[in-house]
Amino acid sequence: MFTNVLLTLLVLTVITVGTSRIDFGAANMLIAMFIASIKASLVILFFMHVMWDTAINKIVFLSSFIFLALLFVFTLADQATRRIDHDIHATKSKVDKQWVFKQYPHAAAGKTENH
Amino acid sequence: MSHDGHHSVVVPAPGPEFVPHTVAHHFDTPVQEFQAAKLGFWLFLATEILLFGGLFAAYFYYHEMYPETFKVGGHQLDWKLGALNTTVLLASSWTMAMGVRSAQTSQKQKTLMFCGLTVLGAAAFMVVKFFEYSAKNEHGFIVFKNLFAPYDEATGQLAWFQPHGTEMANVPHGHMFFAIYLTMTAIHGLHVIIGAGLIVWVMKGVAKGRFHSGYFLPVDLVGLYWHLVDLIWIFLFPLLYLVP
Repeated sequence: MFTNVLLTLLVLTVITVGTSRIDFGAANMLIAMFIASIKASLVILFFMHVMWDTAINKIVFLSSFIFLALLFVFTLADQATRRIDHDIHATKSKVDKQWVFKQYPHAAAGKTENH
Repeated sequence: MSHDGHHSVVVPAPGPEFVPHTVAHHFDTPVQEFQAAKLGFWLFLATEILLFGGLFAAYFYYHEMYPETFKVGGHQLDWKLGALNTTVLLASSWTMAMGVRSAQTSQKQKTLMFCGLTVLGAAAFMVVKFFEYSAKNEHGFIVFKNLFAPYDEATGQLAWFQPHGTEMANVPHGHMFFAIYLTMTAIHGLHVIIGAGLIVWVMKGVAKGRFHSGYFLPVDLVGLYWHLVDLIWIFLFPLLYLVP
């Protein structure tokens, strides 16, 4: 059984590399994380014996992923709602500004206000 | 019972090449001892998940902020070496699982063999990691001798990040990718080294016949630690080497 788990993990690694070569746009991240989660679940359930462990041990370990989700949700909510121009005008590098202004025209438009 | 302070519970050895296990005096039964230690270890592993979780949150934050930088940064890493190390770690997780199984079934020689193979996997992983770090050092992406040198205020340059003439010089905040790459892989590498040390320690006990079907707790816990190292790498590989 452990050997089948290993073979599945190796096949999933090949699939991870394969899908990364195809451009799915923003979905590439979701696909990569989805495959990694399947691999992680296999390791946790079989190699780490969580499948056959006591209820309390399952709850303790799996609860860490709930706290992890909490951390990610608020961090990424901050990232998604933050206005990029605050940080840009504070930086000294010219490369940064040119690049960011290309990506975010509204930041370039507002540059005289902050200086 | 043991809690009267006079009698310890002893788990008999399954054969002449093994030694009996004396349950710690503050436990009533071997099962109680096993479950208490296991619960404590799962709690520790939960803190490990959260330690790396903070780093993953940093990765996702800056990946969202500078997607181009991360894309180009990922191209500076050799995905083949990353894939090789992934295979090495997955295989070593399998050998460790087999080692724990062998300890549970009192197969001393097999336990030693599988644990030894796992340590070899750890060594192979670190050798590949060494060559990767050397390449990053040569290209100026991580100048190790300047790692703790101060920030140059006059030029706005980081002493440890000198990507002149490379693709990395043309993207904003290129150092962010390599700062995150180094922090995550170095802390992970430290876990690989600690894990290998723990497995060697367990092997000494196995050789002395301390671990068998009646008592395999340390082998089991060190095995869990090793699988956690594998677990973290499963996410590090696609995020750093294949940057989605």
